[in-house]
Amino acid sequence: MSDLRSSIENAESGRRRWPWIAGGAVLAVLLAAGITVALARGDSGAKAAGDGSPARGGTLQFALIDYQRSPDPQWGTNYAESLIGNNVTDKLTWQDPDTGEITPWLAESWEYNADLTEFTFHLRKDVTFSDGTRFDSAAVKANFDQYVHGDQKLGINPNGAVLLSGYVETRTPDDWTAVVRFAKPLASFLQASSFTANAQPGFLSLATLKLSAEQRTDATKVIGTGPFVYESWEEQVKTVLVKRKGYNWAPPALRHQGEAYLDRIVFNTIPEASVRTGSLASGTIDATLDVGTTDEEPLRAKGFKIIHRSVSGTAIYFNFNSRLFPTNDIAVRKAIQLGWNRESIEKTVLTDSYSIATSVLNKSVRGYVDYSGSVLKYDPEQAKKLLDDAGWKLGADGIRVKDGKRLEVKLLGISNLVVNKPAYESVQQDLRKIGIDLQLTVVPIPDYSAQVAKAKTDWNVTAANRSRNDPAALNLVYNPKLGNSSFLDANSTGVDVNEVTTALDSLETTLDPAERDAYAKTAQDLLVEKYALVNPIYNPSQVIAHADHVHGIVFDAQSRNHFVNAWKSNGK
Amino acid sequence: MTPVLHYIALKTGRALFVVWAAFTVTFVLLFVLPANPVDLLFDPAELNAIPPEVKAQVADNYGFNEPVVLQYLDRLGHALTGDFGNSVQSGKPVVGAVLDVLPSTLALAAGALALAVLIAFGIALVATATRRAWLRNLVETLPSGAVSVPVFLSGVLMLQIFSFQLGWFPSFGDQGWRSLVLPLVTLAIPVAGPIAQLLVRSFAGEFHSGYVTTSWAKGATRGRIIVGDVLRNAALPALTIAGVTFGNLIAGAVITETVFARKGVGRMTQTAINTLDLPLVAGIVVLVAVSFAVINLAVDLIFPVLDPRLRATLTAGNPG
Repeated sequence: MSDLRSSIENAESGRRRWPWIAGGAVLAVLLAAGITVALARGDSGAKAAGDGSPARGGTLQFALIDYQRSPDPQWGTNYAESLIGNNVTDKLTWQDPDTGEITPWLAESWEYNADLTEFTFHLRKDVTFSDGTRFDSAAVKANFDQYVHGDQKLGINPNGAVLLSGYVETRTPDDWTAVVRFAKPLASFLQASSFTANAQPGFLSLATLKLSAEQRTDATKVIGTGPFVYESWEEQVKTVLVKRKGYNWAPPALRHQGEAYLDRIVFNTIPEASVRTGSLASGTIDATLDVGTTDEEPLRAKGFKIIHRSVSGTAIYFNFNSRLFPTNDIAVRKAIQLGWNRESIEKTVLTDSYSIATSVLNKSVRGYVDYSGSVLKYDPEQAKKLLDDAGWKLGADGIRVKDGKRLEVKLLGISNLVVNKPAYESVQQDLRKIGIDLQLTVVPIPDYSAQVAKAKTDWNVTAANRSRNDPAALNLVYNPKLGNSSFLDANSTGVDVNEVTTALDSLETTLDPAERDAYAKTAQDLLVEKYALVNPIYNPSQVIAHADHVHGIVFDAQSRNHFVNAWKSNGK
Repeated sequence: MTPVLHYIALKTGRALFVVWAAFTVTFVLLFVLPANPVDLLFDPAELNAIPPEVKAQVADNYGFNEPVVLQYLDRLGHALTGDFGNSVQSGKPVVGAVLDVLPSTLALAAGALALAVLIAFGIALVATATRRAWLRNLVETLPSGAVSVPVFLSGVLMLQIFSFQLGWFPSFGDQGWRSLVLPLVTLAIPVAGPIAQLLVRSFAGEFHSGYVTTSWAKGATRGRIIVGDVLRNAALPALTIAGVTFGNLIAGAVITETVFARKGVGRMTQTAINTLDLPLVAGIVVLVAVSFAVINLAVDLIFPVLDPRLRATLTAGNPG
């Protein structure tokens, strides 16, 4: 049978050979041509800038890694959500990103009682929601009530319960006065009234507040007072905002008159880093957030502008569990603070957009104190001495041992920021040299959230950061009555828990700048120096790369962006 | 009951069981996982500062405080009526959310499948038709090559050349057919691999079979034999791996949709699992399970029609 087939085959030989060869040749030529054209076009960069005076119009194509999961700006945990919320809604106050001072916005002025339990805001009278209804004290009350208490029937969560902790009510003595009352002193409320990060207190119209969570997924029904309004929201893909006609109440500190310059902003979700930078380089988008550390230099070299702001609040910190062996030993905690080389992280992991932490608070937070000269410095000899003196002897494998137990420190961290893991690994290597075995578990947010529940019994160190431009962030994170990240209690050896509690409590009891600075210093002294409850690592940053023709993107005090001032000089 | 009806009932029953089992396993798995969907609605750094009563209120909002068995029965009952509840994260009704992204994934998957089949047949035809050993050898290595190229890599490479440099196609999002070209090709490559492998083998097998020899003897040309005789019979085995192909499409879609920033079921599944969005995961899993079951059922039901031998055993009363 096979003989027969092959003989017939042979008889037919010579036919139809050329189509395959020709096809292959055509393919090869096409590919070669494609690559040649591609290389020739490779130099397309950003266009020249304009003359400096803002131009109106145009669409800003903006890219970021996350997408907005719901158009409701009062909920959210990622940057897409807070950024978009900030441009659709306004807040009572505006925090100056440079000085940390609280300045007017929707509230023209305010006063508070001596106890800091009652804050009276005098509202602007010319503000309207984009559905035409006016913004007044009733709107403030309705918003805060729902923001703090949620609404079970509508499926709305108590998004603001933590930010406005102890909220009692909002009184409305007249249309333009709102009195916000708390059960206990809450000095940080003034900053909270300007808060622009996750789950922010941006004002929604009364009609919007009556909508269920499901109904709020129709973005065009989500109505704020902001410089932009929703045109569309496409989950996973993009959110489109258009300019609000007649807007004229940007924060006075921004010195912006009237409507936003841009006609539209498209927030494109692009999960892949190489696709974000490629789209920027090829001109498909005008600007992108979430620029990786390794992409900064190549983009700058191509003529793109890199702008950044350190995330205000705490640094990325290692919070020590004061109850769990071996971090219940203050010598171990202090040795870890001294045991890692800041310079090597600066050189190998961070770019100029980031900085090494010099306190638990970021430099931009009011009340920050620099500890780089005292305990937050690399001093391996001193670290070794501390461990020697505390009875930690070097074991056979180079890791210290005490009472038969190895000096193993288990760390739980989040992998959401690309810098985290390499930075922690650098610390790990240095600590090994002084005999500490730092074991890293750096995982995505869901796994971290699951493990945090067991942090008290299972983890020596939890590594994260808190984005809040107010020294009271320390109170939220460390106060034994609140976050208690160091698990302080009466059994914490060598720590005067009352002293820490009192110091943190006092942060909420005054708004006098000098007094508050002093309290902030006391709190940092205790947390960083005296009890070594925290080992701050680095200050994370939000980094944007944009084309030359983009101007005026504002980083606010929470390092979130506002686009009311942004404009394009390429006329598109 | 006639054997044919019996056969249909048995296969349909199995399909229904698969769908129910998928729903139940998903539910159990998401409950066994240590993380709590309520926690994932908050800033992770803030978690331990959230008062228990706030967490309880949020859990109440989604019915997570009910006993697990009640939750299961409640969700199952609603699911039977086509109501999977609302997504924990977005608040959208699950069915609507899935239907929103489904067309985009279907277009991608169907297009990629069609392209993959074309590529696979192309490879098999070339491998069978050519008499140049080197060309046959080259072409026969393509399927294993196609399977081994990571979707991620081919996607990024294609973007680099055809989008960023040449500007022929958009790099992200949904802008009509032009947005579909690169994702289609990216997804089609790994899907084409197994189909091509199977086809190459069955083409070769069929080429040696008796009926082909008969055709040769009758004086048919090579092209006529391939198209008229071999193609039809060799294609049959490819149908049996439809389920595997579907799985490849879904798996590839997750990565393709992420690289090209397209909306779709794949990406939605990924985020839903990451955020333990129980209602959404359940909805997607049931959708996928139903699709799997329907495809396998269709194959099971179509096979006897195409294959006379199976039809014979069926009518002989031996369903199987």
